[in-house]
Amino acid sequence: MKEEVVLSVKDLVIKFKLRGKVLTAIREISLDIYKAESLAIVGESGSGKSVFVKSFIGLLDGNGWIDSGKIIYKGQNIADYNNEKDWLKIRGKEIAMVFQEPMTSLNPLKTIGSQVREAVVLHSSLRGKAAKEKTIEILRDVGISKPEKRYNQYPHEFSGGMRQRVVIAIAIACNPKILICDEPTTALDVTIQAQILELLKSLKMKYNLTIVFITHDLGVVANVADRIAVMYAGDIVEIGKSEEVFYNSQHPYTWALLSSLPQFAEKCQSLYSIQGTPPNLFNSVKGDAFASRNKKALKIDYEIRPPYFTISPTHKARTWLLDIRAPKVDPPDSIKALQRNWRGNR
Amino acid sequence: MIRYIIKRLLQSIITLFIVLTIVFFLMRLMPEEGYFGENYEKLDEVQRETILTNMGLRNPIHIQLIDFYKGLFQGDLGKSIIYRPGVEIVGILKSKIPYSLKSGLAALMISLIAGIPLGISMALNKDKMWDSIGTGYIVFISAFPSAVYYLFLQLYISDIFKLPVLFNVDDMRSWILPIVSMSLGGIASYAMWMRRYIIDELNKDYVKLARAKGLNKKSIMVHHVLRNAFVPMVQYLPSTILFTISGSIYIESLYSIPGMGGLLVDVIQRQDNTLVQAIVLIYSSIGIFGLFTGDILMVLLDPRIKIQRGGSR
Repeated sequence: MKEEVVLSVKDLVIKFKLRGKVLTAIREISLDIYKAESLAIVGESGSGKSVFVKSFIGLLDGNGWIDSGKIIYKGQNIADYNNEKDWLKIRGKEIAMVFQEPMTSLNPLKTIGSQVREAVVLHSSLRGKAAKEKTIEILRDVGISKPEKRYNQYPHEFSGGMRQRVVIAIAIACNPKILICDEPTTALDVTIQAQILELLKSLKMKYNLTIVFITHDLGVVANVADRIAVMYAGDIVEIGKSEEVFYNSQHPYTWALLSSLPQFAEKCQSLYSIQGTPPNLFNSVKGDAFASRNKKALKIDYEIRPPYFTISPTHKARTWLLDIRAPKVDPPDSIKALQRNWRGNR
Repeated sequence: MIRYIIKRLLQSIITLFIVLTIVFFLMRLMPEEGYFGENYEKLDEVQRETILTNMGLRNPIHIQLIDFYKGLFQGDLGKSIIYRPGVEIVGILKSKIPYSLKSGLAALMISLIAGIPLGISMALNKDKMWDSIGTGYIVFISAFPSAVYYLFLQLYISDIFKLPVLFNVDDMRSWILPIVSMSLGGIASYAMWMRRYIIDELNKDYVKLARAKGLNKKSIMVHHVLRNAFVPMVQYLPSTILFTISGSIYIESLYSIPGMGGLLVDVIQRQDNTLVQAIVLIYSSIGIFGLFTGDILMVLLDPRIKIQRGGSR
């Protein structure tokens, strides 16, 4: 079955000017987002996940810009948008965003109701009583009990988890096609995280949403994502269906990321952690960005940037290990066990 | 809410009593010459004692304190001794306050009307030309001793625009320079605070969310940022308004405006003890009342305060 692409990114390059120097935050990313899927973008801090998705709604910080490449949405290249008026056609109405700071994402001086209602009024023809009713309905949808009473309360009367529900309600109230969740559960404790993820899943069904999750928490990913894109140093190094990336990962960075999960740790041994630091993006990156942290890096990894190698129609990775000429490099044992099970099951 | 106001009111009243009592005791520490005026030299020891006894100043201190409060409750601030011997202080103040109030309020209005839009436009054009010009102005006003530009205005600007350099009740044009002088500092400080609060608010996460939901810049400014930025300003507004009656000490003497500003300095120098006491009382009451009103306004504007205070009652 060929899936419908809702948003397509082609060779996107995003740069920032910082202290007089230019930093390349996103290095030629291409990505298709399919209708009604949930895609998770994972990667460590500074890998450019947030910057990448913020460019979809024109919310890059003032010192950042799209240097080249395209973002195609509904036949239009929104990467070319350069004024507020154009972006207002996209923001909220087409692509909405949930941020990671529920404690501060709401205006402390306005009632919850008025803040959700603002989005309802902005993106629908509902006014007056009808708008209020719609607002209350949405509040109920995001799991806020007694929404009629909560409507007139202020953010400080809500807990972190409840505020995140309100932030999600605001996004839903815009009636978007795509919902971007930028680390929606990072600031919440674990039990609340699970509730919020459940909520997002059910809203996805009800409103037929396409959801893009940004996270560095692989536990979150396993819970919700159909597909996973692994980002490293401003590039997607591996992308595939969740089970493909989890059980049959091919990129050494994905291996390292998975190996550092506590679930894979041997009893009485310290947790695996990836040595070294990501490359400095002020300089141009030569070869595979992960090479310097990869103990088993090949010589070519330092020379030429690897292309994508296709593992399955839905799974590809940027690593020279997949080249037929590459020597055989074994993944860590834990990953190898995963791969063996995966192949056995097929 | 009501409870909070009552609680805050009681606090203010207690504070006022403490301040009044401190003022009372401080005044008893002043040299006693102040109670005789120019007659001090002419009187002998016995006559002085008689006068002091008649004024109640030889009574035990607690009796004096009670008498003092009795007088206050009847609106009696006592009589001036040296400044205008024998004249009721209330009357003196009544003649002084209108001048200070009029010029003060006019200057405050100008400060607000010019300063707040200046601050807003600077915040909107942060780091651009206009912001730099505004910042330059603020730095200039804050860094220079105000006397320097007051005198500059009086000396040169009056010449250029042919404006009178001395105050005259019947000449509207003679109000211009003193009021402009008084406004310059106000404009600078309102612009500075307004700019700062707006920039604070603009960097907050809720503005990011408001943009993400598709609000345009104007709605975000009007419905979210401005209101939130005004809240911290509003708290100090009542005090500022009230203090216009106290007048500007320097400007009033520079332009010979017969207002409150010069009075305090004058009567301190001339040791008119009762008048000093009365003026200090008025100033401290104004201060306390201003803070009280500011706090009440804050409660009305910021919903977070009600709960926090209410929760701990």
